[in-house]
Amino acid sequence: MSGPVLGRRKAGALVAGAAIAGTVAAGTLRTASAADASTFVSGFGLPANLDPHQVYDVPMQAMMLNAYDNLYRYQNDPPQIVPWLAESHTVTPDGLVWEFKLRSGIKFHDGSPMTSEDVVYSFRRMLALGLAPAGAFLKILKPESVTAVDPLTVRFKLETAYAPFFAAIPSISIVNPRMIEPNVKSGDWGKSWLASNGAGSGSYRIVPAGYRPLEYLDMEIFDDHFMGWAHNPKPVRKLACRPTRETSTRVLALLNGSLDCTDNNLPADQVAQINASKIAYVQKDMVMRIFIIRMNNTKPPFDNLNARLCFAHAFNYMGFINDILGGYATRDPYPMPDNLWGIPKDAKGYDYDLKKAKEYYAKAVAQGAPMKRPVELHVQSENEQSVQGAQLFQSDLAQIGINMKVVGNIWSNLTAAAAKPDTTPDMWVHWVSTYFVDPENWVGQMYDSQFHGTWKASAYYKNPEVDTLLRKARTTIKQEDREPLYQEAIRKIMADSPDIWVYNSMQLQGLNKRVKGRRFCTVGQGAEMRWITLDG
Amino acid sequence: MLRFVLRRCILVLPSLFGLLLVTFLLIRVVPSDPAMALAGDAATPEQIERLRQQYGLDRPIWEQFAVYVGKVATLDLGESAFSRRPVAVDIAQRLPATLALTFCALAISVFVGVPLGVIAGLTHNAWPDYLLRVFSVLGIAVAAFWFAIMLQLLFSMELGWLPLRGELSPTMQRPPRVTGFMVVDALIAGRFDVFTDALRHLVLPAVTLSLGGLATIVRFTRAGVLDTLQQDFVFYERAMGYRRRRLVWIYVLRNSVTATVTQIGLLFGGLIAGGVVVEAIFDWPGIGSYTVQAILTGDRQVMLAVTLLVGTVYAVVNILIDLVHGLLDPRLMERA
Repeated sequence: MSGPVLGRRKAGALVAGAAIAGTVAAGTLRTASAADASTFVSGFGLPANLDPHQVYDVPMQAMMLNAYDNLYRYQNDPPQIVPWLAESHTVTPDGLVWEFKLRSGIKFHDGSPMTSEDVVYSFRRMLALGLAPAGAFLKILKPESVTAVDPLTVRFKLETAYAPFFAAIPSISIVNPRMIEPNVKSGDWGKSWLASNGAGSGSYRIVPAGYRPLEYLDMEIFDDHFMGWAHNPKPVRKLACRPTRETSTRVLALLNGSLDCTDNNLPADQVAQINASKIAYVQKDMVMRIFIIRMNNTKPPFDNLNARLCFAHAFNYMGFINDILGGYATRDPYPMPDNLWGIPKDAKGYDYDLKKAKEYYAKAVAQGAPMKRPVELHVQSENEQSVQGAQLFQSDLAQIGINMKVVGNIWSNLTAAAAKPDTTPDMWVHWVSTYFVDPENWVGQMYDSQFHGTWKASAYYKNPEVDTLLRKARTTIKQEDREPLYQEAIRKIMADSPDIWVYNSMQLQGLNKRVKGRRFCTVGQGAEMRWITLDG
Repeated sequence: MLRFVLRRCILVLPSLFGLLLVTFLLIRVVPSDPAMALAGDAATPEQIERLRQQYGLDRPIWEQFAVYVGKVATLDLGESAFSRRPVAVDIAQRLPATLALTFCALAISVFVGVPLGVIAGLTHNAWPDYLLRVFSVLGIAVAAFWFAIMLQLLFSMELGWLPLRGELSPTMQRPPRVTGFMVVDALIAGRFDVFTDALRHLVLPAVTLSLGGLATIVRFTRAGVLDTLQQDFVFYERAMGYRRRRLVWIYVLRNSVTATVTQIGLLFGGLIAGGVVVEAIFDWPGIGSYTVQAILTGDRQVMLAVTLLVGTVYAVVNILIDLVHGLLDPRLMERA
């Protein structure tokens, strides 16, 4: 009688190997599509955490527009501020007292009704935490000045008149204290808990255990949302956020159908490839996000007007926009998005003109400016576009005899360095996005000297006349009265040329062709899901 | 053996303390401001100053270090400036994914690399040896990101056999977290569909990550085999008529892999640290992407914790390697 061909151990190993191979093979399907007809897989980046009172940036806007509601909200393109949780508001002529009337019948995700007390709690929590979204409110609003007049009316009494208050209202999400309070630890306002959980009333609710920072976020439809779903008979029922880090993976995932949308920063060189595919296309939208080369106005030679004008004429604006960005941006010569009110359209910006740059160079030298001093331009290394722009600038400056060194850096280092004039680089590159739709978000916070020490004001520009105009515009309530003040301030700022204003951004987002009904607004950048239907 | 292990563990503590001290000081050289990172982009100078005081960042550096060491001793790794969650929680959520990827990559490297190294050694200067030598040079020279993209293009885009990215398909419901290892948790929950899906997602990143280690192991095993084949005991055993298969795969291999085992130890730590690129390309939810984010955002607590973690992993793996050496050659244990 012959023994077994394989020993017991060998046989076991073979069986285990076959089982694993079979398992992998069993799941193999030709199609790579990961989504079903009601699940939207988003490649948008995730915010640092889920608490809308701790974080306020573009990824947070995208998340909170779906998971939370606000008293008023920006909609459409160009953005309009429209009633949302509030049905109306009033303001006293001195601009100090604002009252908002809530709609009735609004429910949070746990089914509890929303009242003005919840709005009061939300604003007090935001002020107590004092983090990013509180920036617009801390100086003008005390926690005790937010009160509930009746169950559907909330009152804000400002310390001083502050016109951008209304524009900043959409940045504050209303949270549910009944979900947060049981999770408060050591008076932290539930900060740790809400960083990983949801307590809102938005169109989509966060799935418990459906979140891991930076990695994934799952949300499901909230059928009882106060706006209802009559406008969209076939809404997205599940939203799976799966941020992709690498451009190549992002594009491949879009092209094989495993992503329904990419983030909004698709490189221009990917547009043709995606548009040539059968499954996806690139959506182009103008946003309010300006690209600036900052100059440290306290450091020679940038403390000299002629030196600054020399640099402003040495940047090849249209070459950068057309050749490097593929034309996907608009030349914006103003210190603010050119599609926002408050722009003096008669003001002329600076053009690329090396002859003029040389003339200003000579004038600066004559005034003793050290134009031969090697200067540094710090770029965000991880952003290819800022590196390419800097290299283009470097080559043009070399032609007029300016030695500029391009220095790779990261955002956190640059913002920390910008806290003091002596540590702020000679020049650095950044964008200013839409935190709220008001000139205050750009020109107000960038060129009023009271903001020195923040990254937005890192030119360290100081002009008392401009300070006066901007401060007056800030405390004047009516837009028609504010507009000429901003126009005048911008004319003066442009004459002083403290920075180099390059372009206003065009957002490039890859979308699967099954995505229909998308509505774009520069705040949130088209990430509001309640309008979207998946076709097929 | 217990005494040996205990002694090695005690010796590890000063090394880790030194690592912590050096990292703590080095991170201070970076100009990023943790208070600013905590406050966020839209913060005012007043908000930043308030956080600086709240987190003791205005105190002398030695005092900050003493407080930090005290917290680390109680496994409190602080709060991430980016996610504003406890760093220990963030790491605990991510570490299993990184370990799963590392173990799989290492398993591929070892179970493929060692036999290939033996074959190369046995066929010295014949075509299989030449072929494997070219492969091992390529394996070390090829950039991981290029190899990853090639695998994605072939197996995900062209053939459609394997998923492009991530740990699990978006439509798949995650099993309850027990161990944190997706494959294991799926089996515990009896979710064979999730198990299959998770295993498929693991293939491409693990193969990519294994490439460099595989090439290294082939080279070291080959060199070890060539050296051992010259030993007297091999001639003796051949002369005694030992079967060739038994001689090679037991006696020669056992005496050839000492250097390879040391390499495996080093590779393990290297794979954890080097998985950053692979995790980024495949959107693998491990500590690699978490670390990159921490560096880009100046998140000091995370940078410190990850450095400490990788240092600890290196230390533990080195102890294990010493143990394996002792098992392979008991004389080493006696000497130690």
